Amino acid sequence: MGSRNTCITVSSDSISRFIHTFIPTVFVLMAVVLNPARVQGQTTADLFNPDVVQEIRLSINSRDLLELHQRYQENTYYTADLSWQGQRVRNVGVRSRGTGSRNPIKLGLRVDFDRYTTGQTFLGLRSLILDNNWQDPSLLAERAAMAFFERLGQPAPRESYCRLYINNVFQGLYSIVESIDAPFLARVYGSEQGYLFRFDYQAAWHGEYLGDDLAVYKPFFEPETHKLEADVMLYAPIRDLFREANGPEDAVWRERVEQSIDLRQLVRHVAIESFLSEDDGFIGAFGMNNFYLYRPAGSSIHRLLPWDKDNTFADVNRSIFFRTNENVLVDRALGYSDLRALYLDVLDECARSAADGDWLANEIEWLAALASGPAGEDTLKQFSTEAFQAAVDRIRRFATERSRLVLDEAARARAASGNVP
Amino acid sequence: MSLTAIVLWPVLIASLGVPRISPEPPSPEDALVGTTPGPQSTDTTPQPGAKDGKKAVKPPARFRWDQHPSLHLGKGTRIDFRARFQGDLRESDALRDAVEENSGLDIAKRRVGVAGEIRNAVDFQVEAELGNDEPWRDVYANYKQHAAVQVQGGHFKLPFSLDENTSATNLDFVYRSRAASQLAPGRDLGIMAHGRVLDRALAYEVGVFTHDGRNARTADSDRVYGGRTLATRVTFEPFRAEKDWRSDLQIGAAFTTSPLDEGFSDLRGRTSFDARFYRPGVWIAGNRRRVGAELRWRPGPFSIKSEYIRVTDERRGQSVDDTDLSPAVAAGWYVSGTWAVTGEAKAKGLDAPPRPFFRGGPGVIEVAARLERLSFGSAADGEDASEGPRAEVIAGNSDRVETFGVNWYANRWIKIQFNILRDTVRDPSQGPLPDRTGYWSQVLRFQLSL
Repeated sequence: MGSRNTCITVSSDSISRFIHTFIPTVFVLMAVVLNPARVQGQTTADLFNPDVVQEIRLSINSRDLLELHQRYQENTYYTADLSWQGQRVRNVGVRSRGTGSRNPIKLGLRVDFDRYTTGQTFLGLRSLILDNNWQDPSLLAERAAMAFFERLGQPAPRESYCRLYINNVFQGLYSIVESIDAPFLARVYGSEQGYLFRFDYQAAWHGEYLGDDLAVYKPFFEPETHKLEADVMLYAPIRDLFREANGPEDAVWRERVEQSIDLRQLVRHVAIESFLSEDDGFIGAFGMNNFYLYRPAGSSIHRLLPWDKDNTFADVNRSIFFRTNENVLVDRALGYSDLRALYLDVLDECARSAADGDWLANEIEWLAALASGPAGEDTLKQFSTEAFQAAVDRIRRFATERSRLVLDEAARARAASGNVP
Repeated sequence: MSLTAIVLWPVLIASLGVPRISPEPPSPEDALVGTTPGPQSTDTTPQPGAKDGKKAVKPPARFRWDQHPSLHLGKGTRIDFRARFQGDLRESDALRDAVEENSGLDIAKRRVGVAGEIRNAVDFQVEAELGNDEPWRDVYANYKQHAAVQVQGGHFKLPFSLDENTSATNLDFVYRSRAASQLAPGRDLGIMAHGRVLDRALAYEVGVFTHDGRNARTADSDRVYGGRTLATRVTFEPFRAEKDWRSDLQIGAAFTTSPLDEGFSDLRGRTSFDARFYRPGVWIAGNRRRVGAELRWRPGPFSIKSEYIRVTDERRGQSVDDTDLSPAVAAGWYVSGTWAVTGEAKAKGLDAPPRPFFRGGPGVIEVAARLERLSFGSAADGEDASEGPRAEVIAGNSDRVETFGVNWYANRWIKIQFNILRDTVRDPSQGPLPDRTGYWSQVLRFQLSL
């Protein structure tokens, strides 16, 4: 009897274990089979999850890879397969990218999913950037800056870290950057019908009027949408913007310019760049750079979108008015008291937001923690691991001191102009 | 060239410059008109010595003009002087959109050359196209003393494809089939053994050539083509001995193989009017193989021809993982039929009309139709087709063409052809009219052969 009771007891446990382990396992397996996408986390939110270091693998024919390294200055596309979390996207186009960051050692890459296969997307993306973080010894300035733009309500590309492998060889720590393209417009503005231009740096240009010929503007503004439209449709509104910006100083300057650009959004964009001490942005050291120009369909009013912020956090002590008088648009806009007040207000907002709960300091700490492991293994990065640590330390100091300095200077500026909020 | 000039020049030349035409069948010496190299030439005129080895004894170094101006240098030695002029008047929806004009385009070809034989033992031919960057066409000699084993060397068409090896003079349509003109090798430098055995019912050709012909070759140095090429063709006339309506039936098969360097394929998809509908951007390496099957039958005034050609280019080590990809494949076929409404036997040749136009007869009038298709892709298929250079499944394209034509052989020198063509391109975005799958074309060709 005893043994029978024992036997019954064991059987109950077995049934219980069966119920609690086997059946959930079956459900999980069914979920995998029936909906592999969900189980594998196939959303852009997963890809751009800021708290995870992703792993992306590219397979490139060895001949193509050799040529890609040798001809890194060219924008020639090569075929590759991209693998992420068990998914393999075949026949994607990969090319070298970047201006100052373009190099043959740690390749900066652009991946186009529909380059060779019409309509092919990856998680709804048509392309993405694998940023080599080449010019940023901290490996985190770009990510922290874009997160800050987003925090301040300015649309910015999503980013996450990844370990990149090409043909199973570790290439280092990269940033996966969301392309600013039609799907980005759809995500941010709810429509991809607008006109989008990537500013393509040609020479130092501070917004002066370049003349009536559209061909002069064309090299500076690479269309990302409406690529097949006539130049007059694409570039005439851009020419008009700079013509009006350089127009006579009269009572209707602002009214005319605001037909071509959202001045308040421009001021907000520049204020955030100034808070972040951006060296290579709209009022960068070498003229305008690293932005996209967006014009909604049916409108002539342009807006700025941030791009490539790896030269931010340059100088914690930098004045909030540094180089604001070099750019025609910014200089003249800040001549209007309400726009100047807005500029200072946004700087205040930046300072308070960065300091709120030590957000910026915590962000830097978190990114440094994510990056430090892969950065130590990254033998292809331009700077040493010691330089990485030093750069992170410098940005830590920036994060803790910048808000106070900016608030003080903004207050002084208000006091000087009698424009006290 | 204006329409008036195109219409008038052959008539003027024919009425002013040609000698009086004999209504009699051509002599054996006359028989070289329109021949092309190779023992399996589909020219419908008999080959020298093919029917009767008897030759009239001619005085040495005597100039004659039968079908060609000809210099006879002694027994069995002769040089024929040849010339052929062509003018095309073309009209196409695609051309109109492409060149933004409505007047069509004329294409003139001028070929001159000499051909002949030496002591009944060696045939030779030297032909050039004037005004062409690559002027030399056929430049070869053929040792022919034994019908079963002949040897031919020089620059001539590889033994592959019935249509490709049919002389331009004797084409049933203005343009060769897409399969033949795009996939058959064409001419190259080489040496070939050939002959007829089994009571001439079985013909064979086996040759080695420096490359795989010039048909697909382009000036683009990034494109690769076949290296040293082995080519063979066998044709069989199973009812040759029957001497009835079946006797002309001929079936054949051909094969070539060539090594390929690594690079982009030179094979392209082009329409009859030379508009591109497919330009492969895929890496290839390994071997190129062509296989072909052919059929020809010419009972009475009718004829039927058909061919299938398939070219496979290996892609060894070309995947993104450096592994092999499925071969790139180009395939084409056609089925064509003709009817000489004036009743002449097709197998005897229509290019020397028994009732010539300028001698009171109608010449020969023939109607023709052809259905054909040329396609590009890969051996592997599936839904994930891509235009990527290293795609396992190639997103290719195809062109289907229906051609309807009328041929008028006015006399042995003048031939006029009119064709209406309907092209249907599967993926029009790669074709001459990106927003249309189908379009019409027409072409009128005037040809003068001396």
